[in-house]
Amino acid sequence: MGRFLYDLFYNSDLVLNGWSAAAHQSWAARGWPPVILDGLLQLAWAVAAAVFLALNALFIIWFERKVAARMQIRRGPNRVGPWGILQTLADTGKLLIKEDIIPDAADKAVFRAAPLLVLASTFMLFVVLPFGKGLVAADLNVGLVYFLAISGLSVIGILAGGWASNNKYSLMGGMRSAAQIVSYEVPAVLTVLSVALLAGSLRLGDIVRAQPSYGYILLQPVGFLLFLIASNAEINRGPFDLPEADSELVSGFLTEYSAMRFAIFFLAEYTNLFLAGAFASTLFLGGWRGPLLPPVVWFLLKSYFVVFLLIWIRWTFPRLRVDHLMELSWKVLLPLALANLLVTAVLVKVL
Amino acid sequence: MRSAEEIRDALRGRFPGIETRPVDPALSVTVQPDALREHLVFLRDELAFDFLVFMTALDRPADGAVELVYRLFSRESRTSVVVRVRLPRDGARVPTVSDIYRTAEWHERETAELFGVEFAGHPDPRRLLLPDDLEGYPLRKDFMHPNLVRLPEVT
Amino acid sequence: MNVTFGDRDEMSPSVTGITPLPAAQSTSDEFLLNVGPQHPATHGVLRVVVTMDGEVVKDIVPHIGYVHRGLEKLFENRTYEQIIPFTDRTDYLSAIANNFAYVMGVERLLGLEVPKKVEYMRVLMAELNRIASHLLWLAAYGLDMGAFTPFLYAFRDREEIGAMIEEASGGRLTTNYFRVGGFVHELPKEFFPRLRKFIARFGKAVNELDTLLVENAIFVARTRGVGVIGRERAVSYGMTGPCLRASNAAFDVRRDMPYSIYPSLDFEIPVGRNGDTWDRSWVRIEEMRQSLAILRQAMDGFPEGDHRTRAPRNIEPPAGEVYSAVEGPRGEIGFYIVSDGTRKPYRVKMRKPSFSNFSALPEILRGNKIADLVAVMGSLDLVVPEIDR
Repeated sequence: MGRFLYDLFYNSDLVLNGWSAAAHQSWAARGWPPVILDGLLQLAWAVAAAVFLALNALFIIWFERKVAARMQIRRGPNRVGPWGILQTLADTGKLLIKEDIIPDAADKAVFRAAPLLVLASTFMLFVVLPFGKGLVAADLNVGLVYFLAISGLSVIGILAGGWASNNKYSLMGGMRSAAQIVSYEVPAVLTVLSVALLAGSLRLGDIVRAQPSYGYILLQPVGFLLFLIASNAEINRGPFDLPEADSELVSGFLTEYSAMRFAIFFLAEYTNLFLAGAFASTLFLGGWRGPLLPPVVWFLLKSYFVVFLLIWIRWTFPRLRVDHLMELSWKVLLPLALANLLVTAVLVKVL
Repeated sequence: MRSAEEIRDALRGRFPGIETRPVDPALSVTVQPDALREHLVFLRDELAFDFLVFMTALDRPADGAVELVYRLFSRESRTSVVVRVRLPRDGARVPTVSDIYRTAEWHERETAELFGVEFAGHPDPRRLLLPDDLEGYPLRKDFMHPNLVRLPEVT
Repeated sequence: MNVTFGDRDEMSPSVTGITPLPAAQSTSDEFLLNVGPQHPATHGVLRVVVTMDGEVVKDIVPHIGYVHRGLEKLFENRTYEQIIPFTDRTDYLSAIANNFAYVMGVERLLGLEVPKKVEYMRVLMAELNRIASHLLWLAAYGLDMGAFTPFLYAFRDREEIGAMIEEASGGRLTTNYFRVGGFVHELPKEFFPRLRKFIARFGKAVNELDTLLVENAIFVARTRGVGVIGRERAVSYGMTGPCLRASNAAFDVRRDMPYSIYPSLDFEIPVGRNGDTWDRSWVRIEEMRQSLAILRQAMDGFPEGDHRTRAPRNIEPPAGEVYSAVEGPRGEIGFYIVSDGTRKPYRVKMRKPSFSNFSALPEILRGNKIADLVAVMGSLDLVVPEIDR
């Protein structure tokens, strides 16, 4: 029993492979087509990811509120549940029972679809995320490219939301957000490419294995910083939250969304926050690698550490103006990312 | 630091026969409506009264007049001058000074709607503070409105 | 007057104040943006209609009057003592400065001298009020810029000031503490120890806020060179206070129209160089430091005496007029009081700094980007009830 538990946590790839092989065997023995079993296994992964998404949202929102509060000399939610951990549940409940308002002049189909588009692109990123040894839904051999491609899909949802609201503020917010995300993709891609060069593979599982247990951060300090900043901008957070700035454009593309639709945008935003932290830790901090503790725990610790950094940045700095934002991306981050790539390529060849 | 006497003498030199009197440390000058602009330009350019502190009006129904009050301040000499213009209550009309002192634009709009004074040549003579549908000139002493309640006299 | 958000054809000039160009001339990129009267970033109930060409502001027309309460007419029907609480509420963030200006004016009309201790108390209260007002400005400005944390740091100190003023006067915001001839009550025993502790701690707090917001690179990038107004234009628009001093014009009522014990106190007047938004912010931070110095001096030199002098029970100044001005947190606050010898004033005109500061907004903002609207309006430190009265 103890051995089984140990294996479950520390050698999860062997355990899962064993279960998968056994399932395939008994399935084939009954003469059913294997493709259905594969489909069911993937469904199981999707359900697991959805459960994780929900639990993570509950945790991370509470985490942000507590951390932000402590930085602002106050306590944060502490009434609903011990240390306020049930606060998010209460807020979600409130959002669920609110009236769903769709503006009369809005494009109804697109209005309804927009939040789901954003959530879909977020959810799809869980496919390649290595939670632990072998704990990956599909370790694609182009996992890195998949990650970069899908993270750009959220732009469609945001533009859709801004357009469908039939509101000048929303439209401006949506367009700004799209411009921002697209601009910050470029340095992100280049930085990630440097990591791929170091690891010699685009498969996320290989990238994690190729790193020392503390990650590539010592080899790619500039890269880590660049990726952090670029991710921050991609998730519309922190100093880069102009599209949702309530003092400038009254929530930007989110203006007309209320109740559950707003909750879905909200959920997508916080899940994106976690994913930014997760991918940063996978690429730069060594993912699930680490001594003593089970891999899953290391993965979560490192991811939440990066999340903590992003929260810290958000609550310290004022907002960047839209032209400064663009300047930062194209005039500062891009040249640095190119230089980083060049130096990495040269060193990889030479050493 | 110019004293009120020096300012009075400078004004008398340029505009002989001008009416002045002391009003605590400042000097008060009364001018005719059509000479207002000339006097203000002189005060601003020659005597360095670059600051229009405020402009308002006093309703004097007993004299049948509305008196405009312009208070000027000189940052250089740290002195003040008050320029007064007496206008008839009916047909109170005076040229605008909003090109001499930019702050006068809003002060004149306010005085116009509250006292019923017309400022000829004002670039933007819209209402400033009052709602568009209010009739009458509220700060005149004879302003009547159903909402206006006279408080009982204090003893 | 029901105005909705719409294209320029729907909004007539009488409503927007903008004369539309003839159809042949208007470019298709221009559109009207209506900011307010309800908007998170306008500090109060005011409305600004912006004609934009893409992101650039081509023209801007402010609309005020939403909070016009007819105070000047009201004052003609109140006795001199009854007016004092109203002066609190014209600008609730500098209630004490308003009290000060009004009460000083009435005392001048009466020819009343107040004891030295009253002058020291007045200066203490006025400078505490100035610090509190600047702290709130900083908090709200940070919030506009997207920095939430300075808000809480600034309010921690503002709470302390509010508690001190409440112990002394009974009110945190609208204090109604001043009277003709002095004060309602004596300062409580705990006031000076508390003030001493506050002064000891506040110097560090100002530096903290400075580093957190005003010296922050993103803030500097957003405010340097933005919303510039030159000295001559600022003076012509009647701007006073930090907005004027940022434009390299050293005008401070405490220096140039001296009152109370300010001539005997040693403090500096911070003057900015470029007249941009950053300078206006810097001037306010420096003013907080200077106010701290004034507080220290006033506390050290605090004399013995009465907190109120004998003033007539029914205030009936002789016929005459007076203009009394103080340096409020936003600029020159002045009361022009005309007395006709009765117990109620003949006319009270309130000269308010935000009125003139706001009128300069079109000049400041023309040619800037719409994203700067929030930054510039925040830096003017407007309080709308003071504009409308």
